[in-house]
Amino acid sequence: MRDPDVRDPDVAPTVFTPDALASRERARRFETGLSRAGLGLMPRLGRRASDVLLARLLRLLADRHPRAFEALREMADARVLIEPVDAPVALLMRVGPDLSLHAVPRGANGVGGGAVGGLGEAGVADAVVRGPYARLLDLLEGRIDGDALFFRRELTISGDTALILALRNTLDGEEEMDLVADAASIAGPLARVLPVLRRNAGPVLDRIEAARRLLPPPLRRGIERVEARLAGVLPGNSPETGA
Amino acid sequence: MTASLTLGPVLFNWPVDRWLDFYARIADEAPVDTVIVGEIVCFKRAPFFAEAMGDVIERLGAAGKTVWLASPILVGSERERAAMRDLVEADAGLVEANDMGALALLAGRPHAVGPTINVYNEATLGWMAERGAVAVSLPAELPAATVAVLARAGRELGIETEVQVWGRAPLAISARCYHARAHGLHKDGCQFVCGKDPDGMPVTTMDGQPFLTVNGTQTMSHGCLCLAAELPALVAMGVSRFRLSPQAMDMVRVAEAFRAVLDGRRDGAEVAAELGGLIDAPLVNGFYHDTAGARRVA
Amino acid sequence: MDNFELICPAGTPAALRAAVDAGADAVYLGFRDETNARNFPGLNFTRQDVADAVDYAHARRVEVYIAINTYPQAGNLGPWQKAVDDAARLKVDAVIMADPGLLAYAAKHHPDLRLHLSVQASAANVEAIRLYRDAFGVRRVVLPRVLTVPEIAKLNAEIDIETEVFVFGGLCPMAEGRCSLSSYATGLSPNKQGVCSPANHVRYEQRGGALASTLGGFTINVFGEGEQAGYPTLCKGRFVATGAGEGSGPAYLFEEPTSLNAMDLLPELKAAGVRALKIEGRQRGKAYIAAVVRAYREALETFAAGRPVPHIDLQAMVEGGTQTTGAYTRAWR
Repeated sequence: MRDPDVRDPDVAPTVFTPDALASRERARRFETGLSRAGLGLMPRLGRRASDVLLARLLRLLADRHPRAFEALREMADARVLIEPVDAPVALLMRVGPDLSLHAVPRGANGVGGGAVGGLGEAGVADAVVRGPYARLLDLLEGRIDGDALFFRRELTISGDTALILALRNTLDGEEEMDLVADAASIAGPLARVLPVLRRNAGPVLDRIEAARRLLPPPLRRGIERVEARLAGVLPGNSPETGA
Repeated sequence: MTASLTLGPVLFNWPVDRWLDFYARIADEAPVDTVIVGEIVCFKRAPFFAEAMGDVIERLGAAGKTVWLASPILVGSERERAAMRDLVEADAGLVEANDMGALALLAGRPHAVGPTINVYNEATLGWMAERGAVAVSLPAELPAATVAVLARAGRELGIETEVQVWGRAPLAISARCYHARAHGLHKDGCQFVCGKDPDGMPVTTMDGQPFLTVNGTQTMSHGCLCLAAELPALVAMGVSRFRLSPQAMDMVRVAEAFRAVLDGRRDGAEVAAELGGLIDAPLVNGFYHDTAGARRVA
Repeated sequence: MDNFELICPAGTPAALRAAVDAGADAVYLGFRDETNARNFPGLNFTRQDVADAVDYAHARRVEVYIAINTYPQAGNLGPWQKAVDDAARLKVDAVIMADPGLLAYAAKHHPDLRLHLSVQASAANVEAIRLYRDAFGVRRVVLPRVLTVPEIAKLNAEIDIETEVFVFGGLCPMAEGRCSLSSYATGLSPNKQGVCSPANHVRYEQRGGALASTLGGFTINVFGEGEQAGYPTLCKGRFVATGAGEGSGPAYLFEEPTSLNAMDLLPELKAAGVRALKIEGRQRGKAYIAAVVRAYREALETFAAGRPVPHIDLQAMVEGGTQTTGAYTRAWR
């Protein structure tokens, strides 16, 4: 039997002391929530702006993880829909020579319905991997074993299974990616905030969470907006043009 | 080399009387050239046939058949090892090795290599020829292109190549008995439940689709491998031996039909159509056509 | 008494570093092609990756083995022979092979290359193992997962080369290298293409709350809501055995979706004369490899120090959420 208080043993272990560990995990949860909120804002940017931003993220990832991205470009042209069940937006990744990333609203054009294909102008997905946002992020970053997640039914897969396996194996072949930090570094202020936040995760999060608990609902939403702005993806934080 | 028919060993657990009757009829009526005998699936079954084995060998020999003895597929335990050594040392005729252990013991004297030894390429075939192999029965999963290369290499090496052309394909062997397991029994106390299924225990998917056949520790195809229509192509490649694997059906008729195709008296596709009606399983030839073994390629 | 050697899998360079850092004595891997038995999409090593892996591992006194353990294709031996040549050139510590023809090639052209017999050769008895030793100079045999520990002990008493056994990971209930089940359903086999139940023939479909998995169009399993799932490896599917008597509904006819874990058998395996312990899973992620290797390293250190082997929880790593000692104990049969 697994003790519910014990950390998931399939998360790559670290050498932190228990206190540091707990603090790190809370920071991770916070970052996960933050990046999810950022992702949720994508549709409000409009298709072109979000595509530009994601193209920028992809370029940056390609610079930092050249081996994996070379391998992604060497794959046959195909589209994978990465669909967080608890976020308003899914990501459509096109692998192959025309490597690209697009945000697709969930629930529209059959995406949320779980059907493969029927993504309207975003094109047709050859495969879909679906699960909680936090787990998908862990998976993409290679922090967690995809098979273990699948065995526990936390992830579901439909369509071209080999495509998902190839994508998973390719990303897992990288050293641990830090997608949140990478995303932050193209997103303005968070690039400076995140390292500080991580260093002082415990106290900072204590304060944020204590404040949140005390606040009336409208202000809580205000905090969320602040968090979202930290993610740097609100209109006004204009991205570079060009793909 | 003229094309010859081989009758493989009976793989199922038949009652001794049925087994004796089967070989009596093969001796008297079946136009097969070589008959391979021996219990190769489960050493627990072997004692039932041990006593009658001598009579069967004698009867087949008297009928003009060449008789080979087959060694067990999986040899792990001391008892299995002892049985394998006894077989090789008995010197009762040519032995067909079905495990690398038996192959080791047969070095330097003429022997045959059975289909459960992995011969996938000409380098391995050459190595086996050097050690004294005179015939190799190729694994069922080999596609036509591979068979062609091996048949050609075999001719150069002076080693006959054989392909299974009838009967359920052997797919896997295990230390575990799936027959016993399906009946909630342990292998050590199996009550010989495999004897209930003279053609193996049919296995279907959860959707009711027929799929596999369990024969004790062996897993076989549900589909009955049939390469009657492919015989002319196989002969053209230089394959000289064609194996019929016994099923609980009229194997004399099967042998006659294949002999007729080899002699050019009958059409292979027509024979396949006729024989397909005699067994409660679809005919398959996918392995040969380099696709899923369960498929039938027209 | 020497400790066991811990032999760990790597499907990617990152996994190799994870295995080395977590305490492997040797890491085994394959080239990125059909020459190895884990020829999965996105997995395995280019020649340059292997060179880097050897540098990284050797700098930390860890060995690298290369598995070239499929059966070379007739009329196309080149890729396999080149893999052997490259393995020798890249100064790996051993090559793991199964095919007699290829072993003969390696023994002839690279007499200094250390040869291990792959589990895919399924050498389960003294005579077979001696044959590979005498014919090719094989120095170690990876035993097929069909033997009990007492059988392994008897075997070791009669052979003079090292034995390596699997202790953790996916479990073949069939004798390895002698199985065409995958080939029967999909046309692709471990022996020929280095794949078993390949992903490009796998489909998952939701059936209400249930999850069905198919392979080559055959339904391999249907998982109820909340039930632990498994990859549709053919021999770990649920099937119906007709005529198996009362209550013969769908069952795991061959093997449950379970993982081997022989950590509790370390004393017995040591007494049986086993030299090396092998972890399965070149296709698994680096998080799995780090966790399993670290757990086994800890267990081996504890065992070597003469203390009782602790129970280390690897439950989350295992398929179907269950573990077995497999064929090592007689009851499995």
